[in-house]
Amino acid sequence: MSSSKSRWADEDPEAEVIAAQQKREKDEKRRAKAEKQRQQEEQAKLQAARSQSANAGPIGDADAPPTKRRRLSNEQHQQQPTADANSQPNQGKSSLLQFPVLEWGPCRHVDNFERLNHIEEGSYGWVSRAKEITTGEVVALKKLKLDNSPDGFPVTGLREIQTLLEARHQNVVYLREVVMGSRMDEVYLVMDFLEHDLKTLLDDMREPFLPSEMKTLLLQFISGLDFLHSQWIMHRDLKTSNLLMNNRGELKIADFGMARYYGDPPPKLTQLVVTLWYRSPELLLGAETYGPEIDMWSLGCIFGELLTKEPLLQGKNEVDQVSKIFALTGPPTPQIWPGFRSLPNTKSLRLPPTHSAPSSGTTPPLLPRSKFSILSNAGLQLISSLLALNPASRPTAAECLKHPYFREEPRPKPKEMFPTFPSKAGMEKRRRRETPEAPKRGQEAPKLDFASVFGGQADGDAGETGAGFALRFG
Amino acid sequence: MPREVNGLKFLSNALATPEQLTSSSSSLDGVPADLETSIRFAGTQLTQAAGILLRLSQDIIAQAIVTFTRFWLGPEGGSLRIYCAKDVSAAALYMTAKLSFQPTSPRSVLNVYTFLLSKEASPLWFVNPKGLLKGPVPEHYHLTEGGYQAQRQVLLRIESVILRTLGFNTHVALPHTITLTYLQTLGVASPEVARRAFEHLNSSLLSPQLLYTTHQPNALAVASIYLAARENGVKLVDGEWWEVFDVDREDLGFLVVAMQSMEGFARAESEKWKGRMLPLDTEEVDAEIERRRMLEAGE
Repeated sequence: MSSSKSRWADEDPEAEVIAAQQKREKDEKRRAKAEKQRQQEEQAKLQAARSQSANAGPIGDADAPPTKRRRLSNEQHQQQPTADANSQPNQGKSSLLQFPVLEWGPCRHVDNFERLNHIEEGSYGWVSRAKEITTGEVVALKKLKLDNSPDGFPVTGLREIQTLLEARHQNVVYLREVVMGSRMDEVYLVMDFLEHDLKTLLDDMREPFLPSEMKTLLLQFISGLDFLHSQWIMHRDLKTSNLLMNNRGELKIADFGMARYYGDPPPKLTQLVVTLWYRSPELLLGAETYGPEIDMWSLGCIFGELLTKEPLLQGKNEVDQVSKIFALTGPPTPQIWPGFRSLPNTKSLRLPPTHSAPSSGTTPPLLPRSKFSILSNAGLQLISSLLALNPASRPTAAECLKHPYFREEPRPKPKEMFPTFPSKAGMEKRRRRETPEAPKRGQEAPKLDFASVFGGQADGDAGETGAGFALRFG
Repeated sequence: MPREVNGLKFLSNALATPEQLTSSSSSLDGVPADLETSIRFAGTQLTQAAGILLRLSQDIIAQAIVTFTRFWLGPEGGSLRIYCAKDVSAAALYMTAKLSFQPTSPRSVLNVYTFLLSKEASPLWFVNPKGLLKGPVPEHYHLTEGGYQAQRQVLLRIESVILRTLGFNTHVALPHTITLTYLQTLGVASPEVARRAFEHLNSSLLSPQLLYTTHQPNALAVASIYLAARENGVKLVDGEWWEVFDVDREDLGFLVVAMQSMEGFARAESEKWKGRMLPLDTEEVDAEIERRRMLEAGE
């Protein structure tokens, strides 16, 4: 709060000198120790080799210093007082599960990478294309924005790293490591580089994807999402610009700046998540507890966007967004969404008199056919269920994967057959896009007045929506 | 990585490499091994006590202790002559809570640490060896505004140091929940066994053998059940049941001995430091090393 300079920068130059001195001394000691160890090892190897010439045993590397564990194990065998301790040894040794070998170590320096070109700037960092100098591999380097938050390392950045490290899946972007610059506030994520993002691709295509291609993309997207949800991770900012693609037809979910773990029962969470156009109605109406269903709503929006190349619900602000949603889905009724009236922001919401809505039980009503003319019946059923107002009516990612839409003709196109496109990210700076930004952390959730959603006390443009709406009911 | 391994990630931890276990940054800086062990032991207890006072749940405290322990390991870890154990304890706890469902504020953390580190008011034997004569006097553990600002800077700086040292690997899987699952699988309904198993798991957090950085949670769970069942005279199924949970006899044996030795170790530690303060910051560590050097030279 007090200092405007980075807190991570050591302000005292003298302390820095001393620290550097200490570090130098320590490095020397470390080297000396490593040298000594090397000599010992060599000696051990020599000895091993000598003894080996006598009895051709296993190779000498097994002579590495025995761990503590080993030493104790001998006493242990006698100590263990189980009844069957000395029964005959298991024939064929039962096979125990092998755990993945994971280690930790300090961050490497960003100087191991050479920056090639800038890709884009998001709300959570700057992304550039870079080359690892020793291997020549091209990677994406994302510098986290660490504005001097009063709470230390931003929790969003920590969560992004934590969830990405955990989410190892072929349809989630691979975080290789975290590297740092010379100062404590320079933190970079090193990720696999992918040539495209879906948003730029859609903008540049003359025709939308073929139905078979769309299924391939959706299936990959949904299986990545299914994995995240199975690991209790909510993404909370799914949109086409956060879905990356390479030239081998592979899609990966990226940008975990909003992602976090959730629980059951869901903890109280901020409503300021998900970019407006992809934000679900329960979030817009101020729900304080929500779950992975918000990701499923975003999936529905992306599905619609793939069909038409245009974002499905482009609201100008929260209120407009809600009215655009209701214009598409029809207004919520107590039948299709029991309990929506108890959400904080519904107080001011005035619904038009329901014309005895065709309440089809618990299944959400189908979206208007006219909006998705090229979609099959199964496809329309899928998108309608994803864009169900009631979060409880939306299918889970696992259920989506089993949906008949993906099994009917045309079948998903094999990834290898996917067309390739010229990469913008691989070449130069891209133009800025017009998608609204993801909400900023730490803002107050706005108190929204939804009185005008259906043109109640209308101001200019809400009236228009109201009129369009009335048409559908009339 | 194949998917089966992915599923296991949630239940497993990064373990210390042999190199990390054989040499530490502190030892390279001339801190005697027994002193390092004592300070780490005190630091884990400090973290546990602070977590309780902050009303954090035990899983957050346990994760913070594991993070604290990992920080000091290996030649590239933190050195006790550069970083204060008390600061690393506070920052590990603060950072772990931040990532959990129960975040806490720097002010709460620093208030609690000021109290626990007060040489007059602390209930901890290694900070206040004289013990409490009367109730604690508030003046003794009051955190001034200036002190708060200064220590907040330290807290947040050390948080970054921990993250850098651990390569931002904040994941810690704990054995507690799977211990309950294993007990159910084994058909053990006795709450005493479950409680005793948890006691072993929690005291193992303080182990000088660094059990949480050398063994996976399933092995810790199995060992705690084995020991707890034996201590309570509850008979478990015949046969090598631990193999069902992917633990071999050798690891189980080592862990059982290590867990049993905790009590003796803790007693020896408090005997060793009887009436003296344990050095929890760099200056005190330097002073202690100097004191030992003088003693040696004198003899």
